[in-house]
Amino acid sequence: MKQELVNVLTGNSFAVSDAQGDMTPDPLAPIGLFSFDTRFLSRWVLTIDGKRLKALSRDEMTYFETRFVLVPGAASHYVDADVSVIRHRSIDDSFNERLVVLNHSAEPADYTVRMEIASDFADTAEIKKPRERRIVAVPMPAEGQLRLFYQRERFARETVVSSTAPVEVDPGGMTFRIRVPPNGSWTTDLHIGMIMRGAGARDLRSSLEAHREQIRRDMREDLRRWHERAPKLVAEHDGLRAAYEGSLDDLAALRYTPLSIRGKLPVGGLPWAMALYGRDAMITCLETLPFTPELAPPTLRLLALGQGGRLDDHREEEPGKIVAEYRYGENAVFGESPTYLHYSAADTTPLFVILLDEYERWSGDADLVRELRHPARMALDWIDEYGDILGDGYVRYQRRNTRTGLENQCWKNSPGAIVDAEGRAPAPPRATCEVQGYAYDAKRRGARLAREFWDDPAYADRLEREAAELKARFNRDFWLPHRDYYALALGPDGEPVDALASNMGHLLWSGIVDEKRAEAVAQHLLGPRLFSGWGVRTLADGQRAYNPVGAHLGSVWPSDNAIIAAGLRRYGCDEAAAQVAAGIFDVVQMLGNPVPEVIAGYHRDLTRFPVQLPHAGRPQSWSSGALLMLLGTVLGLSPCGESLLVNPALPKGAGRIELLDIPGRWGHADAYGRDRAPGDRGPRPRLR
Amino acid sequence: MTASAADYLACWVGGRHEDLPENVSGTVRLDIRDDGSTDHWFLTIGDQQVGVSRSAEEADLVVAGDREVFDRLVAEGTHIGAALVRNDVTAQGDLRLLMLLRRLFPGPPDARHPREMAVRAVATHRTSESHGGERQ
Repeated sequence: MKQELVNVLTGNSFAVSDAQGDMTPDPLAPIGLFSFDTRFLSRWVLTIDGKRLKALSRDEMTYFETRFVLVPGAASHYVDADVSVIRHRSIDDSFNERLVVLNHSAEPADYTVRMEIASDFADTAEIKKPRERRIVAVPMPAEGQLRLFYQRERFARETVVSSTAPVEVDPGGMTFRIRVPPNGSWTTDLHIGMIMRGAGARDLRSSLEAHREQIRRDMREDLRRWHERAPKLVAEHDGLRAAYEGSLDDLAALRYTPLSIRGKLPVGGLPWAMALYGRDAMITCLETLPFTPELAPPTLRLLALGQGGRLDDHREEEPGKIVAEYRYGENAVFGESPTYLHYSAADTTPLFVILLDEYERWSGDADLVRELRHPARMALDWIDEYGDILGDGYVRYQRRNTRTGLENQCWKNSPGAIVDAEGRAPAPPRATCEVQGYAYDAKRRGARLAREFWDDPAYADRLEREAAELKARFNRDFWLPHRDYYALALGPDGEPVDALASNMGHLLWSGIVDEKRAEAVAQHLLGPRLFSGWGVRTLADGQRAYNPVGAHLGSVWPSDNAIIAAGLRRYGCDEAAAQVAAGIFDVVQMLGNPVPEVIAGYHRDLTRFPVQLPHAGRPQSWSSGALLMLLGTVLGLSPCGESLLVNPALPKGAGRIELLDIPGRWGHADAYGRDRAPGDRGPRPRLR
Repeated sequence: MTASAADYLACWVGGRHEDLPENVSGTVRLDIRDDGSTDHWFLTIGDQQVGVSRSAEEADLVVAGDREVFDRLVAEGTHIGAALVRNDVTAQGDLRLLMLLRRLFPGPPDARHPREMAVRAVATHRTSESHGGERQ
C-alpha cells in the first residue's frame, strides 16, 4: 500500500515527504521541497548510524509546521530505543528543520547523524519524468553549508542548506559525528534557502519592493488574525464547525504573495496547482466574500496587471483578456510546457467583471472600482471583440496554440469534457453555455459599475441593452424544447451540443435563465441522472461519455456544486439548494478536511461513502471556498444596500446555525438560521 | 528587416497609449548593455502618455539587459515578464510598471486575431459536413 504523504505549505512553497519526514523522488507525486514551481530539494533523507528512522508520532501543528518523533529501525518492531529524534519543520520563504537527538541512556553516546541531500531542480510540470540536469554541488564545510546550483542560459536556481551545528559536508549531504551526554540532547537547525537568481547573483525577489515588504516571519500570529477576522460559526453539529475552521485554515495555507504587488491571493491547490490560476482564484474570491473578503482586492489587482495587452498565439493572449495561469518554473518560462503566463480560458475575463462588482456590493469599496475602471472596461470590450469570434453574439473559444494550448477553455478544461449526449465532440470554435451566462452577468454588472461609479450612463444603457439581447438570444438558441433543458454548448454553426450536464446550474447563478424554465432546470439538476446523492455530477448518468471517475464526465466537484446551490436559491428553489448543500456537507464530514477537489460520481446508495479520486488535489482553494459559499447560501446572505439580508433555508436536520460577525459595508452583522420543523411557515427575510 | 530596440524606442514608444490605464504613472529606465557600454532610455508614463528620453536618472523601475535581449523583445514579441523570470533582464523597483511594458513593446509579428482562425475553422467544418453528406 502506498505510504501516506505529509506536507507543509504556504502559498506557492510546499514540502511533501513520507510519514518519517524523508523525501525521495516519486514519479507519481511531487515529493520534495518546492517554491515558484521549482523543486529545490528532491532528496532529504535522515539516518542515524546508517539506519533509516521510523515515526512514533507526528503532530501537524499548523499548515506550515509539523513535528515528527522518530526512532531508528524498521517499522512494526517493538520499540525500545535508547535514542530518539525530534524532527521539527516549518516553511515560510525558506524551509527550516530542527533536529534534536535525545540520548535516553545513562551513558554518553556517539552517533553518526547523516542527512542525504540532493536537488534535481525539476519543474513541477515534469515530475513524472524530470529531464537530466547538470547540478553543481559545492560543499562549504567552514560555513556549514552545502550549495546546489543549476543554470540554463541566465536562468539560475540555487539551494543553500546551512547547519548551525558543526558539520562535515560532502556533495551528497551532511554528516554530524556527535557525542550526546547521558539523558542529554544535541540540536542543529538546518535552513534551506531557495534562490531564484536575479541581478548580480542575488535572489530576484530581493530587488522587488512588494515582495520584500511582504516577507513576514510570524506566521502563527498571521494565522490567528486570519481566523479572528473571519466570522464565527456556531452550529449544533460540531462536524460542520470543524469543517468550517478547517477550510479557513486551508484557505490561509493557500495564500501566496506574488512578486509584483502587496497582498495575498489564493493559488489553485496541492499538489499540482500551486500557482495562480485566474479562474480558481476568482471563484474562490466569489465563494468567500462574506468570510474572507481580503482575498479579492489583491486577486483583482494582480489579474488586472497581467491582463492581456497584445495578440499572441503562443499564450492565447488578446488585449483585455484575463490570465488563465501564471507559472515561474523553467519549462514554463522557456515555453516548453503551458507557458509562464497563458490565457487559455474563455471565462476568466467576464468573471473578472463579476468579481469586481460583487466585491463592491459586499465591501462598499468604491475606490477599487474606480481604480480598476480601465481593466474592467478592457475586459468588457474583450467580450465583444475577441470573445464573440463568429460575430453571432456568443463567447467562443478555439485554441491558437495547438501544442500546449487547451482544447477546452472553460472550467471543464479536460480534452474530452465537452461532448454531446452520444459522446461526440463538436468542432471548434465552441460556445459553452455557462460562459454565455457569465458574459450576460458581466454586462449587467458592468452597467451598474458604469452608472454608479464611472459616470458613464450611456455606456451603462448600452451594456444593459446588450445583456437583454443576449438573454433573449440565448434562451432561443440554447434551449432544447424536447428535452426541457439547456444545451451544454453550441458548435460552430450554432448546432446544439445536447449533453445533460451540470453547467446549466451556473446559468441559474448568472440569472440568464428565463423564470419559467428555472423549475425544469432545477428538476434536472436534482434528478436521478445528475444528482448522485452527494452532489450534482458534471455529466449525467446515461450520457454516452458518462464516467463516474472521469474528471469532467461524471464526477462531483464541490466548487461546481457551490455555484449551483447559489443559483438554485437565486431562483427560489430553496429546497433543491439545501439538498445540494446537505450532500456536500456530508462529503466533508465523512472525509474530513480538506474538502477534496472532486469525488467520484457513483450514486450514494451504491458506495455509502464518498469515493475519492487519486488525481484529486487536497487542499484546493475553490473547494475549501465551496464549503463557505454553501454556508452563505443556506443562510441566504446577500447585501442589500448598506445592510446584510439574511434569509435562511437550511437543510433538514441541520439544526441551528449562527454565523457571527460577518464583515461587510455594514461593519459586522450576525446571521441565524434553523432548519424548518414540519408545519413551520418558514422564516421571513430579515434586515439587520 | 525588423527594427532594433533602440529604433523602436526612439520612434514608436512615445505618445498616447489608450491601452494604458489612465491612473497609472511612474518612470521606467531601460539599461541596454552592449559591449561594455550602456544606453539608458528613460520612460515617463502618466495619463496614458509616454515620454521617451535618454537619461540615466533614477526611476521607479530599472530594467537592465543585453542589447540582443531587448532587440528580441521588439523583433519576436517576447513577453517582458518571461524575460524577467528567465533572468534575461533584471528588474529593480516597482514591478507593476514592468507588466505595462508589455503594452509598449510589440507582440509577436505572426499573431492572429482569434476571429481569423475561427472563420477558417467554420469554413473547414462546413466543407467536411457537406462532403460527409455526399458520402451518405
